[in-house]
Amino acid sequence: MDAQKVDMFIMSNGKFFESHHINDIRERLIALDESKWAILSTTQFKDPTTTIIVSLLAGGLGIDRFMIGDTGLGVGKLLTCGGMGIWTIIDWFMIQKATREKNMQKIQQFL
Amino acid sequence: MTLNRNKLYWILFTACTVGYVWIYFISEKQFTENNQINGCLIKHFTNIPCPSCGSSRSVISLLNGDFIVALNFNPIGYIIVLTMLVAPVWIIMDTITKTNSLFNFYLKTENYLKKLKVAIPLILIIIMNWIWNITKGL
Repeated sequence: MDAQKVDMFIMSNGKFFESHHINDIRERLIALDESKWAILSTTQFKDPTTTIIVSLLAGGLGIDRFMIGDTGLGVGKLLTCGGMGIWTIIDWFMIQKATREKNMQKIQQFL
Repeated sequence: MTLNRNKLYWILFTACTVGYVWIYFISEKQFTENNQINGCLIKHFTNIPCPSCGSSRSVISLLNGDFIVALNFNPIGYIIVLTMLVAPVWIIMDTITKTNSLFNFYLKTENYLKKLKVAIPLILIIIMNWIWNITKGL
């Protein structure tokens, strides 16, 4: 794919991925076929900032986990009062990383 | 932090262990003094019970054989007891036989729960249970 397009993609979507993944994503996008660009540019990623706000407000009910697609862990959090409050607090610090990992999983379908 | 088999088993096993310790701890202490347990941060700070408040009391009632009392405290206690009984056995079986049947089951359940037809009724049930919790004044 055109390097300019890839750089544009990285610039607008860089915040959705872990920093150590960005280089890898860039290289693999350049090697990618041009026909994938349309799907790739319209793919929606989960915003880590949104998830941490949700985690702070409704983390005790596991809504943050449901939001990023970890339904099983979300149910676990919901049924245990957010892991008796401890898991909620741990997730305040983990959820952004988890969101970025989920985004990485999503983009990996195209790479 | 991609969830793989070992991580899931680890999380589940830790959760079950903490659960057993917690149940042991509060059953020793006898929660009957004004019928309150301060395990929930949401309730502690806002005085409003959360959807799963009362499930410890429900689990203890179940252990004493009071099925109706357990249902009155919180029906979620039934799910928790079931998970706490089944999960450790399943994890140990999987570890011994080196299969990942529990992980596959977890993934299948997760996909099933994501269907709107299943998710919306479950959310409504949880919300109704929550309203019931608040009116009961757990």
